[in-house]
Amino acid sequence: MKDSHTIWILATLLGSLGLWLMLPRGGRRGRLAGAALAVVALGLAASQTPRLGTWTAEGIFAALALVTVVAAAAAVTCRNPVYCAIWFGLTLLGTAGLFLLVGAQFLAAATVVVYAGAILVTFLFVLMLAQPEGKAAYDRASWEAMLSAVTGVVLIGVLSITVGGALTAPPPEAAPSAAAVQAGVLRPQHVAALGTELFGRHLIAIQIAGTLLLTALVGAAVIIAQGKNTKTDSINSKELKTDEE
Amino acid sequence: MPAELALLHNLLLVGAALFGVGLVGFLCRRNLIVMFLAAEMMLQGVSVSLAAWSRYRNDFGGQVLVIFIIAVAACEAAVALALVTALFRRRGDLDVAVWDRLREANQPPFTEAPLPEQPGAAGESWPTLPPAGVAPAVPDEKVDYRRYV
Amino acid sequence: MPSAKTLLVVIPAMPLLAAALTAVLGPRLLRTRSHWPTVLGVAFSFAASLLLLFQVHQQVRAEKNATFPSVTLWQWVDVDSSRLAAARTAALVESTAEAGAPPAAKQGTFSINVALQADPLTCVMLAVVTCISLLVAIYSIGYMRGDRGYWRFFSYIPLFVFSMTMLVSASNFLLLYVFWELVGLCSYLLIGFWYQRPAAAAAGKKAFLVNRIGDFGFALGVFLLWTTYGTLNYEDLFGPHHLPYAREALGTAICLLLLAGACGKSAQFPLHVWLPDAMEGPSPVSALIHAATMVTAGVYLVARCLPMFREAPGVLHVVAIIGGGTALLGAIIAVTQTDLKRILAYSTISHLGYMFLALGTGTLLGAVAGMFHLVTHAFFKSLLFLAAGSVMHAMGGVIDIRRFSGLRRRMPITHWTFLFGGLSMAGVIPFAGFFSKDAILLSLAECSGGLIYQTLYWTTFGGIVLIVLYTFRPYFIAFFGPEKIPKEAGDHAHESPRVMTWTLVILAFVAFSVGMVLEWNHVLSDFLAATPSWTTLPLPPAPEVLAKEHLAIALQSSAAVLITLACTAALYLGTRRVIVARLTGLLKLVGIYQLSFGKFFFDQIYWLFIILPAEGFAALCAWADNHVIDGLVNLCGAVPRWFGAALRPLQGGLIQFYALSMAIGLLIMLFLLLL
Repeated sequence: MKDSHTIWILATLLGSLGLWLMLPRGGRRGRLAGAALAVVALGLAASQTPRLGTWTAEGIFAALALVTVVAAAAAVTCRNPVYCAIWFGLTLLGTAGLFLLVGAQFLAAATVVVYAGAILVTFLFVLMLAQPEGKAAYDRASWEAMLSAVTGVVLIGVLSITVGGALTAPPPEAAPSAAAVQAGVLRPQHVAALGTELFGRHLIAIQIAGTLLLTALVGAAVIIAQGKNTKTDSINSKELKTDEE
Repeated sequence: MPAELALLHNLLLVGAALFGVGLVGFLCRRNLIVMFLAAEMMLQGVSVSLAAWSRYRNDFGGQVLVIFIIAVAACEAAVALALVTALFRRRGDLDVAVWDRLREANQPPFTEAPLPEQPGAAGESWPTLPPAGVAPAVPDEKVDYRRYV
Repeated sequence: MPSAKTLLVVIPAMPLLAAALTAVLGPRLLRTRSHWPTVLGVAFSFAASLLLLFQVHQQVRAEKNATFPSVTLWQWVDVDSSRLAAARTAALVESTAEAGAPPAAKQGTFSINVALQADPLTCVMLAVVTCISLLVAIYSIGYMRGDRGYWRFFSYIPLFVFSMTMLVSASNFLLLYVFWELVGLCSYLLIGFWYQRPAAAAAGKKAFLVNRIGDFGFALGVFLLWTTYGTLNYEDLFGPHHLPYAREALGTAICLLLLAGACGKSAQFPLHVWLPDAMEGPSPVSALIHAATMVTAGVYLVARCLPMFREAPGVLHVVAIIGGGTALLGAIIAVTQTDLKRILAYSTISHLGYMFLALGTGTLLGAVAGMFHLVTHAFFKSLLFLAAGSVMHAMGGVIDIRRFSGLRRRMPITHWTFLFGGLSMAGVIPFAGFFSKDAILLSLAECSGGLIYQTLYWTTFGGIVLIVLYTFRPYFIAFFGPEKIPKEAGDHAHESPRVMTWTLVILAFVAFSVGMVLEWNHVLSDFLAATPSWTTLPLPPAPEVLAKEHLAIALQSSAAVLITLACTAALYLGTRRVIVARLTGLLKLVGIYQLSFGKFFFDQIYWLFIILPAEGFAALCAWADNHVIDGLVNLCGAVPRWFGAALRPLQGGLIQFYALSMAIGLLIMLFLLLL
């Protein structure tokens, strides 16, 4: 157990250092070193994870997790916001894969459709509207890069150690049998079951979520429209003033 | 460790990693849009954990919660991006430091380090998107870029 | 015929009603008619007083030990203090064990009733107060005409009458104290009536503050009375079956504290300094409050408590010495003053001293003489003040006798009434002052108190000479000689309006005759002797002996008065001013003149030894307040500000800084909770 902690602490330190080196800090020195350190940290962390049993499962999970985490790190550290968005899209795809791995097919689809398809595209739209050039000084600097990186990675370490501790100590309750799971969340009529659950137990919440979506839609429209109005109003008033003069 | 528990364990680690990396991004980056992106990444971390728990506990509740997260994230993205657009209209800048005027009176602005003057060393290639509504055929040098970006 | 109880309530109630009416309706509705409620209300209560006097007098004549009317309006305080009383009794027994007979403290409840009572003393006071108040109110109609505060004046006056009548008819010390303070308030309001004048405002404050000193003593005396006797009712303290009085130090302390209150209110040495300044008020106020009624409250208090004063060793001597000393002091100062109203003010101080002196004998003769002088003095002094007010009215506010002369042709009625008042004050037979002054001399001569009273007798005799001098000096200067009018008078240097002169004439008549009427057949002395508290006082010797003595004193004093009058006339009439100047020069050489003219420099001494140190201390306190106290308070305010200033840089306005703080905080919490 102590060894495991040491390795986790080492992984955390290396990960912090690597992430810090990868973050935009004005120049481009040390990015590769940072990436290497981060990969080492990732490897150290992976060495501490339990095996999933079959090699197939192991392989698929490792590939998806690697894609997800690496894409996430890249999305956060890229200088160019467009690259950030694209890397984030990859993260989303990895996440969708993980969802599929646990049998949440609908979630995988929804993530790809809603996140990658809608939200990410909106991001890109806004980037395009606001930052067509793609070269901005502020994208090349970070706030308190060291402190932030250490905080974030130490958080990951703490959570990992906690998860490990909590799950290896006698687990809170035994996992349901494989048959029960096959009949439960992994049953063939997955979407039907999820739909029943959503529109049965969570009907009111669904209604509220719908209302929320509508409100957000209207709100976004109003915010945008107001911005426009004030601008034109100010121009109009300026013109009026000059007219009066 | 049983396979199911190991799966949960590893997925939780991935969720924690997504969450932590997203946090780092949110804390560090100065671009408003990238900050929101990082925040979405944190939401993804939570979603992964929830899905893992759903599988382990053989309960749809986690997945339902993820659906709600996606709904709320969509709302958030809509409103937040609208706000970003509005803010950008006001200042012509996506730098969050522009809005540090919301600090206490008589306080100097927080400056960790001066912004790098030049956008990097020469030869660094920057993929660019064409400005909205302008044909991409126009050469990059001739585009009348806004001064304030 | 209304019952005595009804009358007793009506007497103070009518002026109170008038005061309320005038205060409410005066500024808008009544305006120049504001005097009507006052005059009617006071007239009503004057009539009621006379009726009450008549009824009580009948009662006294009918039976020897009459129970006098009293009425309880409501119970004011009712505290079950049995446990308190027990503790007190125990303490008292312990403390008075060596001091002789322990007074039996009353057990039970501490209850104070708002109750009025009418014994002969009260009846006489009521009659005098309401009579003078009525006349002064009528006089004021003319005097205050055209004043901006007309309605205000006529709401203060009935308020004063209400307070004063309540004061003299109260049946316990607490009620007495309340109205004691209320008359003080009225005095303050009326002295500072023309509050735009700084001198008037300052005089009002001075009167109030000096009275505070005396009233503080009075309050302590009342507290001590209660802790000693367990009751504040006159009935228990002075009634036929009163409690045994505390002797030795305790009794003396109570009496001296009460005397302090009396000295403050009656302007006796050393608290006399406020009364001359009180002349800044309107003349009718000077006549009513600062000559005839309020200042006699102290005399009334001493007269009321006389049996208790008798029992306490040494207190009567103090009363007599203060009275005699003040009488002489006031007289000496009055001789050289040039302000007519101030001359009269010092003469008031002097005459109040005579009243105290008479009461200080502790005999029935002295008590009656003191009250007799109170009555006659009230009439002749208010007459003199009103006449002086009439002069002031005509002279356009000028009251310095050096600035006018020869007024007798322009103001014949004022002149004659002033002469009547002067003769009465000087004690010329058969004017009122003659009888009361001789009664005082007689009481002193008859008092077997030893050398002190002997000395005081001759002091008083000397004082009589000074009375004549200081009364007729301003009279001759102001009304005789070549006519001289100050320019402030303008074109109204003529006799006052009829409403004022008629009042003067009535008062002159009363001042002339009241002595004879009251002395006739010993009406007053027999009536006053029936006062319950006075039944224990030593009785005078047989009338035959007394009459002989009286005649001798009357002859002596009359001779002295007439000779002095002649000398004064010789000095101030005609062209013998050279002699006056020589005499003044002689007195200046000795230093007495300067002392007298400078009022014995009491104001300066008080300023140097009391006001200056107090102001120094106040300045110190102000400095401490501004720098130490305020500094502490500001420090209390500044500490959070510094704290805030230290924290303010955290509010950098950068959202990520906040998020980072939150994340670090979360991390610390996770560390604490999970690891």
